[in-house]
This record gives sequence, C-alpha cells and structure tokens, in this order.
Amino acid sequence: MARVKYRYPGESRWKGWWYVLPALTVYLLFTFLPILETIRTSFYQWDGFSQQKTWIGFANYLEIFSDPKFHNALRNNLVFVIFYSIIPILIGLFLASLLSRRPIPGFAFFRTALFLPQVISMVVVGVVWRWMFNPTSGPINIALNWLGLGRFAISWLGDFTWALPAVGSIGTWVQYGFCMILFLAGMQRIQEEYYEAASLDGANALNQFLHITVPSLRSEIAVALVTTIIAALRVFDLVYTTTRGGPGESTMVTGFLIYRSAFMLNRIGYAAALATVLTLIILIISLLIRRYQRHGVEEDA
Amino acid sequence: MKKRSILLSVILVLLILLSSCSKLGKPAEQAENGAEEQVLLVWDQFYREEESKVIETLNAEFEAAHPGVRIQREVKVLDDLRTTVKLALSKEDGPDVAQVNQGRNDMGALVEAGLLLPLNGYLEKYNWGSVFSTSVASRNSFTNDGKTFGTGSLYGVSPTAEVVGVFYNKTLFKKHKWDVPTTFEDFEALLAEIKADGVTPISFGTLDGWNAIHEYSAIQHLLVSLDYINNLTYGVNNVSFDTPENRQAAQILQDWANAGYFSDGFPGIGYDDSNNLFKAGNGAMTITGSWLAPELLVGTDQEFGFFLLPPYEGKSGLAIGGVGIPFAIRSTSEKQELAAEYLNWMISPRAAELWAGAGMLPAMALPENTKVKTDNLFGDTLTAWNTINQANAVGHYIDWATPTFYDTLVAELQKLLGGISTPAGLTEAVEADYAAFLESRSK
Repeated sequence: MARVKYRYPGESRWKGWWYVLPALTVYLLFTFLPILETIRTSFYQWDGFSQQKTWIGFANYLEIFSDPKFHNALRNNLVFVIFYSIIPILIGLFLASLLSRRPIPGFAFFRTALFLPQVISMVVVGVVWRWMFNPTSGPINIALNWLGLGRFAISWLGDFTWALPAVGSIGTWVQYGFCMILFLAGMQRIQEEYYEAASLDGANALNQFLHITVPSLRSEIAVALVTTIIAALRVFDLVYTTTRGGPGESTMVTGFLIYRSAFMLNRIGYAAALATVLTLIILIISLLIRRYQRHGVEEDA
Repeated sequence: MKKRSILLSVILVLLILLSSCSKLGKPAEQAENGAEEQVLLVWDQFYREEESKVIETLNAEFEAAHPGVRIQREVKVLDDLRTTVKLALSKEDGPDVAQVNQGRNDMGALVEAGLLLPLNGYLEKYNWGSVFSTSVASRNSFTNDGKTFGTGSLYGVSPTAEVVGVFYNKTLFKKHKWDVPTTFEDFEALLAEIKADGVTPISFGTLDGWNAIHEYSAIQHLLVSLDYINNLTYGVNNVSFDTPENRQAAQILQDWANAGYFSDGFPGIGYDDSNNLFKAGNGAMTITGSWLAPELLVGTDQEFGFFLLPPYEGKSGLAIGGVGIPFAIRSTSEKQELAAEYLNWMISPRAAELWAGAGMLPAMALPENTKVKTDNLFGDTLTAWNTINQANAVGHYIDWATPTFYDTLVAELQKLLGGISTPAGLTEAVEADYAAFLESRSK
C-alpha cells in the first residue's frame, strides 16, 4: 500500500486522529482494555466476585499445559477446523466455479439461498440443528428411515463417534456460503482470456480450475482460511446449544472450557489464562496464513 | 469553524459516554412521592408461568401488608441467575434478596466471600424451626468460612420441595393392566413386561446430561444408607465413591440401557424432548423430580400418577429429595429487617397454599383447612414427599459433593450408557474426583 501524503499546507498532521477518535475510544475502552485486563487476570487466582485476589504467576498456564481436558478440547478444535474451514472452502470453490463460468437462470436466487446460513444467529442454528438431529422426530433420521437406510439412523448428537462430525457439519453448513461469495467476487477479476488460451492449449475444465482459478484466488482463500479457522477455534455457541460438550467429553472445545471454568467453577483466573492461550494460538495461525499469502503475491510478481 | 466542529464532536462523544455511565450508575429508585417508600430488590428464577404467578401474588400481598414498601422483582432463568448473581451480590446496589443455588460453587463460594447474611437470628425470631426440619435447614447451611457444607449457620430459606421418583402414565397402565410395583424386583419385572408389550418403559434422554445424574442416583439411593449419602454430600468422614453399592447402581442403569428400557436414541434426546415424548404417551414412565408435575396436569389427554422408586429388598429405600433453591439476603443490604420479613413471607402457610395450587410441592406444611385438590398427580407427589420425610429418608443431589462433581458425573454416566465405560470405570473415575477434592480441602 502506498502512503498517502497529501495534506493542505499548514494543516496539522494530527488532524486525522480527530476523525479516528470516536472509533479509537470505543476500541480502546471495549476491546483493548478488556484484553489487557484478561491477560492480567490470568496471573491471579480469583473467583470473580470476592475481594480476595491472589497473584500466582504462571501457575494457571502450567496447569493448562498439563490439563488433559484442555488437550482434548484443543484436539476437538482442530477437528472443527476441518469442518469449519477446509470443507467449506472446497465446497465454496466448487460452487463458485459452477455459478461463475456461465450464466445460470436464477443465479441471484442461488447466491442468496446458499449464503443464507451465514446470516442466521448461531444460537438459532444450534437449536434448529439439534431438532434436525433428533433421533426420533428429527428430519434427518425420518428421511433415512424412509429411504430404507434405517440402520444409519443413529442418535447423532449422543454418539461417541458421530457427535463431533455432526456438530462440525453444522459449522460446514454455516461457513460454505461465506466462502462461496468470497470466491465469486474474486473470480470476477480473472480475465476470460486466460481460460480461452488454456482451452486452446487443450486444458480441460479440471486443469483450468487447478491452474487458473485456484492460483488467482490465493488472497481470497487466505481470507477465507483466516476467518473460518478463527471461527473454528473459538466455537462456543454451537456446542453450548447442541451437546454441551457431551457425550462424555467428545465435543468439548476450548471455548466451552473457558465458560465452564469462569461461570460454573468460579475460576476466573484459569479461564482468563485459557482465553489468553487460545488468543495466542489464533494469532500465530493467522500470521502464518498471512505469510503464505504474502509469499504467493511476491511469487506472482 | 473547523475547530468548532471538532470540539462539538468531542463534546458529543463525551456526553454519550457520560450519559451511559450515569444511567448505569444510578439504582432505579424513585422514592420521590411517599418520601419514605422503601424498595426491596429481589432476584428470583421462577420464570415459568405458573410459578411466576405465585410469586407475583405473594409480592402484591406483601406490598399491601407493608405500606410504603415496593418490591422490585427481577426474574431470570437459573443459568442466567447463577452466572450473574454472585457479582451482583458483591455490589452496593445489588439485590437485597436473591435466590442462591445450593452447593459449594454457589452458596458456599458466596458465604466464603462474606456476601450472604447468616440467618440464625431470624430463625429464632420467626420460629422457622417449626416450619422446616433440621435436615432441611442443613441443606442451606455452611460454616462461616464457606468450607463445610451442611452445618454452621443458616444462609437461606427454601419455599418449595422436590422429590425424585417415577411419573407413570395411568392411561397406559390401565389399558395394558400393569400394576404399580411395590418392590424393586417388581419394578424390574414391570420394565420387562412393558417392553414385551411394545411400549417404551422409561422416557429418558441424556443429551442435556444433568438428568442422567438423577436417573443413576435414584437407583443408588435405594442401595446406600442415609449416613453414607450425608457423608458423601457434605464431604465428611472420608467416604469413598468407589463402593460396591455405587457400582451396583451403575450396573443396573447400564443393564436397563442394554435391555432397551429407555427411549430409542436416548443419547441424542434432550430433557425437555423426553418429557414431551412422555407427555404425549410415548413411554410408560419417566424418572425425574416432582417439579414436572405442573406441566403434566395441563395440556394433555393422558392421566399421570407418581410413585417413589420402590425399595430394594432389605434396604432402607431413600429417595433423592430436598428443598428448592433458597432465598438469601445480601450481607451488605441496608434493609435486612425488611428482607427477613420477606423471607418469612415466602415460607408462610399462604405461600404453601399457593404453591400447592400451582401443582408444586411446598417446603412448608399445608394449612389444615386447605382447599387444594389432592386426589390427583399433585396429591401423589405430596404423599411421596410426606412418606420420605416421615421415614427420615430424604437423600441428596450428589452433584453438590464437589465443585466438579456435576461435570464428572455427567461425562462418566454418558460414557457408561454409551457402552464405552464400565460400572467400575465410572465409580473409579468419580472417586478420583472426590478424593482430589477431599485432599485439596485438607490442605
């Protein structure tokens, strides 16, 4: 990005800050300060309401790294990355290339309909899908039974093997529309001549997709990766409204552990430390993806 | 000109911030008219329609009997109450009276922080000893350091009572000529008979988790002694969870699951869903607390009854039971006398009458000339409650035992019922939690 240096002569260089001030004030008060406060709290043992706050240094962090519940939750978060991020991006790429290459009647309808899950509140999504997965009255098992596939009609959210993929697939349903819209926008930038030239050279649709579409969408894929991975790592609402971490601990995620530690077990310090660790993990992954993206841009140039 | 607009925008921002601050900062008191109007801020969790009506009536009558007093009521669902009430009670403008969940994480933690008022003075003043027994009082008692549960000072009074037992569908029982069992052996035979007749014996779902604790512990209560369950819950006398009785209870529960006595797909069914199945006639029985009775009295063409899980031969036959979430007083409240008067009001004979009328078990005795109908489901739950009270067989919600007991029990029971753990695996895992708690306390 080029630096904008235009300024009227004699005008104060600080003038711009005044325009930023309202947003900056809100940001500092409601985002930055709470983050600092969270980090500070993570070094204390505190129940959240009494005057008694004990400084315990890194004890909370040491406990996190030896806590099998956290290891299990983080593992589940990584499985969520597959469902929240990888699969939606693949589906999004596929749908976007279907919708973008040739005019389809009702294009606007499909685009809106496929994007719809993204705009529904996650709590509503959770409640609706809990009903969808209901073993006796839910549409999924009714459909399976009707198709004669009754032996696959299991108790989705209560099954130790299938609960995690079932909750994860709700995430897929929510995220793929966002990926698709992102890629559709990006594809409008790709010049049609590339495809023409490629087909003259004998490249089939798959090769065109792999060697023209995907590389051109590098920055959109990076954006999709960052946002969806963040969503996968901090998932809470979906688990809270569907399984509450069960059965056993098979859908337990870090976000739910934080909630439980803070509000059910009165361990604000430990919850703050968990939140800090989760934020660090998210930051590191985001930075790695940004580097991949920059790297690609340089290669292209 | 430019400068002025900047100045204006800054002032505007500051004004917005200030106005929102002042709104938050002031308690909503408006004692201008009567000059002496007292506002009592009360938080409760009776959000269901029938329950809420009882509280509204009692509040209105309290105001009428106490001129110049206004009750400002705030209703929350239990989860919401639990997450907000602790912080609220630590503030000067927090609720004067609030319902505080029993157990260590809630009442215990608040007592430890010195935020609740010990009620022993009022216990004598109002002669509450004649309203509830010492066994009931101990459920709302902690030592003043908040460490020991079940003894020490009284910190709350409960208006309602609860007993966990078996709701059964009388319509279905009549149709299939099933009899209400009187021994545990009969009960298990009945389960098999109902299953053979093609009906789901027990409506049940473990998706929400917590009701699995009741299902398990109801059986456990038939096998253990009152001393054991008291020791376990109050964390005294170093008992273990890994006992033959607890293991046997787990075995029975797992056997029932394997025999198909629970609703199809029960691991994926929530508590409310399983109750709806039962209410609609899908399932002959369900094991849960008496609080379900009001819902089963209306909006259904089925007739329901209630009985205690019948005793195991040669055992004492305890039942999970106790009193509902108690009202407590904020220790820093300036209206403690009035607040105590309010507590006394909530456990009056009039309150008992109103709760009974709504189908809920009152923790207090009903007045002798009561007009409440007792030849129905409510009467069944009342009989059950009186039975265990008179026999001194009121057990406990075992998830009060340690701060993490609830989570551990739910996870382990789901594993047991999902067939990926064994009865011994369950009792060992739960004992690990319990032993760690006892050890952390002795430090």
